[in-house]
Amino acid sequence: MSEQIEPGSPTHVAQQRQRASQLAQAVRGELRKAVIGQDTVIDDVLTALIAGGHVLLEGVPGLGKTLLVRALAKCFGGEFARIQFTPDLMPSDVTGHAVYDLNTEQFKLRKGPLFTNLLLADEINRAPAKTQAALLEAMQERQVTLEGRALPIAQPFMVLATQNPIEQEGTYPLPEAELDRFMLKVRMDYPDAEQELNMVRQVSRSTRADMLDVQPLRTVLQAKDVLALQRIASDLALDDQVLDYAIRLARATRTWPGLILGAGPRASIALVRCARARALLRGGEFVIPDDIKGCALAVLRHRVRIAPELDIEGLNVDQVLGQLLDQVPAPRL
Amino acid sequence: MRLSDATVVIRPRTTWEAMDLGVLMSQRHRRLLMTSWAIVTLPIFALLSAIFWDSPSLAVFIFWWLKPAFDRLPLYILSKSLFGETPTLNQALREWPRLLKPQLLASLTWRRLSLSRSFVMPVVQLEGLHGHAREQRLQVLLQRNAGAAQWLTIIGVHLESALWIGLMVLFYLLLPQQIELDWSWQTLITAAVQDWRWLEHLTNAFYALVLIIWEPIYVACGFSLYLNRRTVLEAWDIELVFRRLRQRLSTTALTLLLATILWVPGAQHVWAAEPVITPDSPRLLDQPLTSQGSKDSIKALLEQPPFKNKETVTRYRFGEEKTDTKTADDSKTPEWLKALLALLDSPRFGFLATLIEVLLWGAVIGGVGVLIWRYRDWLQAFVSRRPALKSKVARPLPQQAFGLDLNRETLPDDIAASAESLWQTDPRAALGLLYRALLSHLLHDHHMALKTADTEGEVLQRVEQLQQPALLAFSKTLTGHWQNMAYGHRLPPAHLQQELCDGWRTLFGPGAAH
Repeated sequence: MSEQIEPGSPTHVAQQRQRASQLAQAVRGELRKAVIGQDTVIDDVLTALIAGGHVLLEGVPGLGKTLLVRALAKCFGGEFARIQFTPDLMPSDVTGHAVYDLNTEQFKLRKGPLFTNLLLADEINRAPAKTQAALLEAMQERQVTLEGRALPIAQPFMVLATQNPIEQEGTYPLPEAELDRFMLKVRMDYPDAEQELNMVRQVSRSTRADMLDVQPLRTVLQAKDVLALQRIASDLALDDQVLDYAIRLARATRTWPGLILGAGPRASIALVRCARARALLRGGEFVIPDDIKGCALAVLRHRVRIAPELDIEGLNVDQVLGQLLDQVPAPRL
Repeated sequence: MRLSDATVVIRPRTTWEAMDLGVLMSQRHRRLLMTSWAIVTLPIFALLSAIFWDSPSLAVFIFWWLKPAFDRLPLYILSKSLFGETPTLNQALREWPRLLKPQLLASLTWRRLSLSRSFVMPVVQLEGLHGHAREQRLQVLLQRNAGAAQWLTIIGVHLESALWIGLMVLFYLLLPQQIELDWSWQTLITAAVQDWRWLEHLTNAFYALVLIIWEPIYVACGFSLYLNRRTVLEAWDIELVFRRLRQRLSTTALTLLLATILWVPGAQHVWAAEPVITPDSPRLLDQPLTSQGSKDSIKALLEQPPFKNKETVTRYRFGEEKTDTKTADDSKTPEWLKALLALLDSPRFGFLATLIEVLLWGAVIGGVGVLIWRYRDWLQAFVSRRPALKSKVARPLPQQAFGLDLNRETLPDDIAASAESLWQTDPRAALGLLYRALLSHLLHDHHMALKTADTEGEVLQRVEQLQQPALLAFSKTLTGHWQNMAYGHRLPPAHLQQELCDGWRTLFGPGAAH
């Protein structure tokens, strides 16, 4: 047993933490107004925002993936850009390029849509790998090298990519390196019957077609607030046992019989950061094993590859990971 | 009431014929009946509509409910006109208030829904009976014609509705298309705003109009049914015949009577001398047509077609032809075949036949078995239901979770007391002990399948499924403090010791170990 010593006055820190939790929960409340019936997905996206990671949203068309991202952009006071990924999209369309200015007879850099706070990469798997790779540097190092110059991207920076699981025609699967850079891969599922009823009632009553117009959202979060949330989350107390649990989970994927490719150390880091963010979102003062377990599926599912024989048997990654989570013992004290 | 003055032919009729007579009666006086009905009902209907403008259905319901009161007027007119004293419109209308008096309340309340309303109405109105006398009268009247009277009402209800709907449809059909379009558009736009009451009142008015035509007919039919019943009961037709006889014969009757009286004593004397005649008496047997002869001819008649129908049927029968075929085939079948057949029929080959039979049946059963075995997967998938899940394998209870030893033997006997004593020196151990004891309790007493991978939150979710509020509340508190201690490194406040130990004691008994 060791007493955690926190920097600054303890009461001040506690107040800040409380305020951060309230802020995060306010954003969650706003998002739930716009996106009905996807509470877990909203939680996951906010987790990634607080943990400073990127999110890959997967779901069949019409579940509100883009709506969720647009709603987040509305709640978030920072800059928002959107790239619709198409097969003929070029890397320079994403990052920017140098153009020749006839007046000054000089090359001028034109920054692409990547230079923003919140980037929606819609239908990311419709662009070929070379265009997808344009995001790699930005996502990991938060900078873009143009014409030999490294240009930093404003903080906070978050990429929210959406993709469609069913359509295989004309899509390019994301390379592992790209997938690994997403902190979470969130699966959107169909909403409950009751929630769907509620949603359809709300939307159909309005004369406007867009859900966002139905529920005007408040801007509750500024760019610097996000940075503060991230800082407060990273300061949350984390017991060694809980940390150990996260590492054990990530390591178990490497030796698990049903998985031929396990998660790397980046997964362990993501697990811990996500757990901290979830603890903040929950309003907790420290991380508990439930936080780790709650985000483990979203963190791990795109970093592992299922064994072909299990795939043939009809199992999917989520089921195999569910078995893994059921087997790895929770922290022991 | 003078039956000889009746304007209709009085004779016993079938019920339907009687109702038909009612229709004819109402037809003869249709102008008077309908005008008087309209004059009485339409103002009342207008008044009701005005009063209940906001609830058109109520207005039409009250109007419908008041029908027995209005019915008295047509009945009065019909009864008067039956004996040729048809009242004028003025007289009838002036008479109506007086007609309303007897038993109006009863006819508008508990007798309102009677199905034989029109049939029994004359008893009250024309005969003026009430109370016990009325009931006796009804009993007699309803013995025979109750069914017909009820049918009359049921048919009336249907006819009324049919006419009502028909009138509405007619109205709708007569609407110019432009107006119709305009209406439907307006209902769409101003469904909530526009007042469509007038339309409903118009529909109600159609009902009032339908009644002008139908209700006098209904009353007349009931009245004629009543007349018919009385004709049958009191033999009015015979009375009428007698009356006519009396009129015709009133002069000669006296002489006839005298003659009869004078002749009767002598005749009686003659009858007394006659011996008793039986069918077997010799006088009858001497007749050209004797009793025996008539009996025989009756029997012969009874044998003939209308009484007995004899039919000759020719068809093939297989049972009796056996002998014939055998004799016929004898010449064609060769001798050796017959011998062989005879040999095979002999009991010597009986066992062989049985053996072959058994073998054949065995082959059939085996073939079916092979087929089932061959396609067992297909059958399992598509024909049979899923095999029932094997009963839960009893898993050994885990003895450890979260690094805590959950075995009962390792726990102290009095957990609350041990925790209290531990609290001062090692609060973490005390909380750990309590949490461990809780898990052990859940594991052993509630048979909760705890796994090593279960986090504290998941354990709490399972406790929620037990639906024991007290246990859940305690578990929540304890888990919260345990997490604070274990993962947050926060020392529990001092008062917590007593709270948790008391909670434990109330939940699991004072000295409970588990």
